[in-house]
Order: sequence, then structure tokens, then C-alpha cells
Amino acid sequence: MTRPTSPGAPPPAPPRLAVRLLQALLPAADGEALVGDLLEEFHHRADGGGAAAARRWLWRESLVAVLTARRGRGAPSPHTGGSPMRALPADLRHAARALRRAPLFTAFCTLTFGLAIGAAAAIFSVANPLLLQPLPYAKPGQLAMVWERDERGERINVGFATFDDLRHQARTLAGAAAVGGWEPTLSDGEAERLVGQRVTAGFFGLLGVRPALGRDFLPVEDAPERTQVVILSHGLWQRRFGGDSSLVGRTIRLDGAPYLVAGVLPAGFQSILDPAAQIWRVLGYEPSQPWACRTCRHLRMVARVRDGASLEAASAELDRLFALMAAAHPDDYKLSPRLLVSPMRDEVSRRVRPVLLAVLGAVGLVLLIAVVNVANLQLARAIRREGELAIRSALGAGRGRLARQFVAEGLLLAVCGGVAGLALAHALLPALLARVPEELPRQGDIRLDATALAVTAALTLLLGIVVGLVPAWHGGRAALFGVLRDGGRSGGGRRRLRSALVVGEVALALVLLVGAGLLGRSLVRLLSVDVGFDPRQLLTLEVQATGPAYDSAASAYANRERLRAAVAALPGVVAVGTTSQLPLSGSLDEYGVRVEGRPTETLRIASGSDRYVVSADFMRAMGIRILRGRALAATDRDSTPPVVVVSASVARGLWPGEDPIGKRLQMGGEDTPWREVVGVADDVRHSGLDATVTQQIYIPERQWLWADAVVTLVVRTRGDPEALAPAVYRTARAVDPTQPVARLRTMEQVVAASTAQRRLALTLFAAFAAVALLLAALGIYGVLASLVAERRREIGVRTALGATPAATLRLVMAHGARLAGLGLVLGVGGALALGRLLQGLLYAVRPGDPLTLVMVAALLALVAGLACLVPALRALRVSPMTALRVE
Amino acid sequence: MGALVLGELEQVVLLAALRVGDDAYGVTVLHEIARQTGRELTLATVHKTLARLEEKGYVTSRMGEPTPTRGGRRKRHYAVTPAGRQAVRASLAALRRLARGLAVGWDTP
Repeated sequence: MTRPTSPGAPPPAPPRLAVRLLQALLPAADGEALVGDLLEEFHHRADGGGAAAARRWLWRESLVAVLTARRGRGAPSPHTGGSPMRALPADLRHAARALRRAPLFTAFCTLTFGLAIGAAAAIFSVANPLLLQPLPYAKPGQLAMVWERDERGERINVGFATFDDLRHQARTLAGAAAVGGWEPTLSDGEAERLVGQRVTAGFFGLLGVRPALGRDFLPVEDAPERTQVVILSHGLWQRRFGGDSSLVGRTIRLDGAPYLVAGVLPAGFQSILDPAAQIWRVLGYEPSQPWACRTCRHLRMVARVRDGASLEAASAELDRLFALMAAAHPDDYKLSPRLLVSPMRDEVSRRVRPVLLAVLGAVGLVLLIAVVNVANLQLARAIRREGELAIRSALGAGRGRLARQFVAEGLLLAVCGGVAGLALAHALLPALLARVPEELPRQGDIRLDATALAVTAALTLLLGIVVGLVPAWHGGRAALFGVLRDGGRSGGGRRRLRSALVVGEVALALVLLVGAGLLGRSLVRLLSVDVGFDPRQLLTLEVQATGPAYDSAASAYANRERLRAAVAALPGVVAVGTTSQLPLSGSLDEYGVRVEGRPTETLRIASGSDRYVVSADFMRAMGIRILRGRALAATDRDSTPPVVVVSASVARGLWPGEDPIGKRLQMGGEDTPWREVVGVADDVRHSGLDATVTQQIYIPERQWLWADAVVTLVVRTRGDPEALAPAVYRTARAVDPTQPVARLRTMEQVVAASTAQRRLALTLFAAFAAVALLLAALGIYGVLASLVAERRREIGVRTALGATPAATLRLVMAHGARLAGLGLVLGVGGALALGRLLQGLLYAVRPGDPLTLVMVAALLALVAGLACLVPALRALRVSPMTALRVE
Repeated sequence: MGALVLGELEQVVLLAALRVGDDAYGVTVLHEIARQTGRELTLATVHKTLARLEEKGYVTSRMGEPTPTRGGRRKRHYAVTPAGRQAVRASLAALRRLARGLAVGWDTP
């Protein structure tokens, strides 16, 4: 055997931390000799076998020594009690021994708690940055969003003139900024379309954010002709410019034009108004500009309330100012009678709040079920351990002492579950994040952080104590008297409690199942909604024509035509079209509409119509049906009279009871041309599968006021659209390699993305409901199994007296049926009460949907029946002889 | 008549301490148990058992001299008391009585 330590080399040292630990934690009286022995043996082993093995040995020994240390000589004996805190280690050790003797029980409880705590920790980690944490900006409580509201109360953006008036007049505001969308193409290197924002110069200062490199926008830059200044996100700077700090002060090319890089933001910065934004440019508007008008509602307004002023005060003042403004410009604010001032943090959670709250509610139910289940098992164990408990009790262990032991066991179980749960949450989070809707802000902050750990720890302790108190509360009473009196056949009271717990479990499981059922049916209904086009075998991608080469509309149109022709020539392509916006993709491009011969007051359409500037083949490629008149044609050009096709809802809204064909309308300002309606198309779901308002106006590409820089190419394919995607992508790139191609997706993927939130909610509910169902089934099984075991004698007597197997089966099944039935009834009540919380997530299904309730109850009854069947069959095997011999 | 006054661990540790004799302390008792029974106890267990035996009056202990391999810590030496010998004898006798007649040779000392 080779010796790892050569002569002369210093002897291996024992791990110092372990020795310190020993010294700190061992009682002085025992410590010295034990530590000395440990060190001696360590050196012995290190000399003989190797230092690493010896170190491992010492660590193991130290842990055992510390965990099993006696608290000095003459520690309080287990029978006399002593102060609860001093006795806690002893209680825990005792509990650990008890649990080690019941490995199956311990494993099952750990699993139950682990699932519940894991789910809770994972969901809390997601919810925390969205619902609870303050915004990552300075004094976040002062930040607010200012919206106009339409007649339905929906938030709408503000025009620049409105913003400008409000920011200059409001005394309660320390400042305000306007934010608009911007998607420039970076043309240095490989062309790439970036997501960005255009902001007024004070935007970053308002948030309390300073560029990490370079400077903020200057007020003088926030003016027309001065706007070619940008600030980059840290990520973009690293990714495209290699983190080169000399970039600041130089220019980069965006849309073919030079832009000065003023600064780079800190790494952690995220604009919660657009989480994907990576580049910012000054807005540079002036009230005189046509696009800065009051009805040009395309900006979002952020405000900071002055120190000492409240959000309510600011809201009241802005309301007053807005009312004055509306009185001065009645035409401009007809559509938005009111203003809405809301805390900026609502922006983070507004859209996901219903889902998160529902899921958090579901997690709460799962936790409850876990507690009920473990408490139930503990009770069952307490019944089996009645002998032990009674003897300990008879030997002088007080009720408090016994209760402490149950609580200690509960705590240990919960801690095991908590550790398992954290591991589970750690494993689940990435999968969960992958399913979280993309547009959700602050995704980078979703992790198991200190807060999540603290909450998990608190939850774990709470669960442990609750689970311990149930059998303790009940066990303390019965232990002594019941068992010693009748030799262990009592426990009726506890069985009643166990039965009550099972009823609770069934009820909770039903509530979760109903939730999952309602969400599932909503999604099915939603996905079977007629979207107004055929989303199968349809490929979509965004193409663009920007930069000096496309300054003239003619060159942009020519680019589109080349693109469409090139893609149409690919084998497997049926039809190709382009459109200024795509249904269900989240795009928003609404314009007010004016009808010829009618005063604007009678305008029936509240918030305008979706502007679809399309190529002639778009409708054919999408499969949008023409209901009346004709479709747009390639012959509708700039030289021919302007025409439009309107959706059925527009036709109904603008010309109720009249033939819309031949009528004329204006879209946009009063100086835009009158356009004649030549056809009526089927309604298309534009803003979501569940959106009821769908009003589209289709305009021939060449007849709109300008050539859109970015359009979506829709490609109808003969076979699988994904198979054709690479060819379409290459072809589109080849038409002009300087132009990026983005968001290549099948239309079915677009539809799926629009339901991402619902899918997430459904997935989670279904998973939780499955766990709940399993636990409820196990609960029923457990109670009935112990019922059969306890009533063996009675069953045997009945059999001896001539009870048929059917009667015996009925006896057990009836008991199970009573439990399940009562649980179902209570669960339906709970589901009806809690279903309302899901209301916002439901589509075409009421919270009390009878079909869902019946189906879910049937499923639960079936599972409960199976759970009853096993113990019932066991009861059948009880022979009269065995039963009579028990005594 | 003797009784099973000792726990199994106490028996093992007490017997090992008797075998080691004058040099009985944690490490030597541990080694003796491992050598004779193949059982690897932890030192903490050995110490706890010895302490319990001392409480019951079956062993006495005294502190020895510090040595360098022990990081300057002293040994606690143990010696088995007459009561201890008596307890082992009673325990073993009880075991033998239990084994009597079960198989040839099980009850012989």
C-alpha cells in the first residue's frame, strides 16, 4: 500500500471547519475527550488510507456527534418534560427515530409535501416580481401611467398634444414622459430588426435610471431634426458591439441613416413598458406636427408624482385638467370621455394578474390538500401507535409532551418535504419560464431568490406545525383512557376526524378539478372559434423595406412585388400576400372612420377600425371569405379610384339595414381621400380569439397614404408550412440581403401564442388537479383500509351470521360513498363560490357550467369508487374464523 | 437470577472495554469492537454509551495527559467497575438462558 504522505511532508490536517463546529456545538464536559479521540483516529486513518477518505470520515463523524450530542450530563429525562425550547432537540431526535421506523409513511409524506411546497415555491417565484416586488426604479411608488379611456372603460394611448398639455399644467407631477414604439433596422453588419422605444428626453431621469456609460438624452435633442440620437441596452451593446466602450460618441447605422450613440444603460435595466426593448431614441415631437395631434393616440404617458403629493391628488388634478381640455376640444375627446391614472406597477401585472391569482389560488388548494392528507396519515399512525402513546402517557409523559412529539414529527416531515419541494421548484422553474407568455415583463427576475426561500421556509414551518397539531390535539385526549380501557379497539372519534379530513380532501380536489375542467373547456371552445380565416397551412413572416434605398414609395412597392413573385414561384406555395398587420399577432393599428354624408357625431364605431393595407392576393392567401361584392384586385392602383373592402361588422355598424356597396368612407384625417366600398368580407378575430369587436377595413397597397416599412408576408402552402419555412426564409432574404426577415412562424403558432396565458393556466390547473385527485384517492383508500382492518371482527361475525359477499361489499362501499358523496356536495359548493375567481379566464363557459360539474364529479366518483374497491375486496376475504379468533 | 440490564450497545462497549483493559478510551474501544465484531460504530456513539455506562455506575473515568496527535486534547480513560462486570455477566447469562435448548452448543459460555 502506498502512503500518500511522503516522509518530511507535513501530515494532513483535519478539516478546520469541522473541528470548529465540534468545539462550538459540543458540550464542554464531553467535548474535549471526544474531539481528541476524533483527531487521533483521523490521523490514524490519514496515515493508513489517504487524507481525503479520512477527511470524509471526520466530517461524517462530526455531523453525527453534533446531531446526537447530549445536552450535558443530567439532561431532562424524557418523562419529566422541562421547558419546551430546551426539549426541542430531544423531541426532534425522538421524532427522527420514529420516522425512520416508518420509512414508507415518511417517504409518502415527503412526497406529498414536496409536491405541494415545490409547486408553491415555483409559482411564488413567478408571482413575486410580478405582483409583489416594487418596480426596479427609483421611488417606484411615485410612478404612474396616464391613459385616456374609451366609452367601454378600456385604456387607450394619448396623443402628443394631450401629453404636452398635461405635463406643463399639472402641479402634482414632478415630471412626465411619453413613450412610443420604434423598430429600427440595424444595418451595421448583418441586418437585424431591433425592438426599441422612442421616448421624450426626460424618460430615463423620470425612472431614476442613469446610463452606465456615456450620457442621457439632452433636452435640446428632444426636437424635430435632432432625433438621431440613441441609447443602447447593455445586452445589445454586448451582443452587437462586443461591449466596446469607444462606441459611445460614435455613430451606428439604423435604417440606413447615422445615429449618434449617446450612452449605454446598466445591465439590469428593463423597460417594463416593453420588456423586449433594447434601443431608445428621442421622440422629438412638437405640437405643430401632424402626428402630434390630440387624436393621434399612439403614445404612452408615464408620470412621476411630486414628493409629498399622493397618487390620488395627482389623479384628481389630471382629471380636472383633462375635463378642461375636453371642453376646449370637444371633437378630439369624444371617444375618450375620461382619464385613468394608475400605478405604473399595474403595467407589470395587469394582463397576467387573473392568471396568477387563479394559479396562486390553486396552489393554496394543493397546499391545503397536502396538509389534510399528511394530517390524515398522521392520525392513522397515531391510532396504530396508541399502545406506545398510552404507555408513555402512563409513565408520566404529559399531554403537552406528547403533543410536542407530534409537532416535532410534523416539523421534520415538513422540512423533508420543503427540501424536496425546493429541489422540485428548482427543476420546474425553467420549464415554467418556457411556458410564460413572452410579452411578460421582468422575466429575468423570476428565480428562487432569498424572498422565495424565506417564504418557502415559513410555509414549511407552518405546514409542519399544523400537521402536528391535528393528531396532537386529538391524540392527547384519547391516548390514555381509550386504549388502556378497551385494549385498543377505540379510535371512533379519530376515525370521524379522519373521515372529515377525507371529505375535505375530496371537496378540495373537486374544486381544483372543476377549475381545470372550466379552463379546459374554455380553451377548447376558444380554439374552435371561427377566426374568419384558415390558419392551417399558412406561413407568416415579417419583411421590410427601409433605408435610403426605399425612400420612395415606388421602390418599396417594387420590393414587395419582387418578394411576392419570388415566394409564389416556390414549389408547394399556393398563394402569397402581404399585409400591414396580422390578425392575432398583437399588432394594433386603429383609425377613426368618417362616413360620407353623415355628421361625425353619429359615428357608430367607438375606437376605430383595424387598418389592413394589403396586396390583392392577401385575402385569398388567408382564406378570408368575401360575403358581398368583390375582393381587392391587382388592378386597384394609385391611378384608379380608391376602394376598400370592409368586414361584416363594419358594414353593419356604419350602414345598418343598408347595402354598403357603393358607399364611401374616409379613414384617418379629413384630408384623406374618400374610398368606395366594393366588397364585404367575413369578420376576422384581430385582437384575440375571445375578442368580440372585430372591424377591419382592407385597403389596396398602392392606395394608402404611404408605403408601410414593415409588412407581414402570408404564404398559403400545399403541405406542411414548417417544411417550406427554410425555403421561404432564404428566398425572402435573397430579394434584398440588406433587409432583415423576422418572426417566421406558422399561423397556427401565432394562434397558439395568442392563447399562451390560458394554456399556462390550464396546464398548471390540470397538474394541480391531478395531484389533488391522487391524494384524495389515497385518502379515501387509507380511511377505508383502516376501517376494514378495525372492523374485521364485525365483518367476520356478519359473514358467520350469513351476510352475503354483496352485503359485505355494500357495507364498505357505502361508507366510502358517504365520504365521497359528502365531499362532492361540499366541493360543488366551493367550486361555485371559487369559480367566480376564474371568470376572467373563461370563454363561453359559465363558472357553474353544469356539464363540467357533472363530468368532473363523475370522474372523482369513479376514482373514489376504485379507491374504495380495494379495501372492500379485502373485507370479502375476511373469513369468519379468522375474525372470531382475533380475541 | 441475572437480568438483561444492559442494552445491546452497552453490552458491546462494556465487553470491548474489558478486553482492552487499562488502555480503554474512545479510540481503543472503537478499534476493539471493529476488530472483534466487524461493526463500525461512530466515536460519538461510543462516547455516549460510555457516558451512559458511567451514569449507571458500570464504568469510572479519569482524564489523562494531552498528546500532540490529539490537538493537545486529553483522553478520558475508562475502567470497568465490579458492578459493570456483574452486569455483563448477568446479561450474558440471560442471553444463554434464552438460547438454552435451541441448538447444540448455544448455551455454553
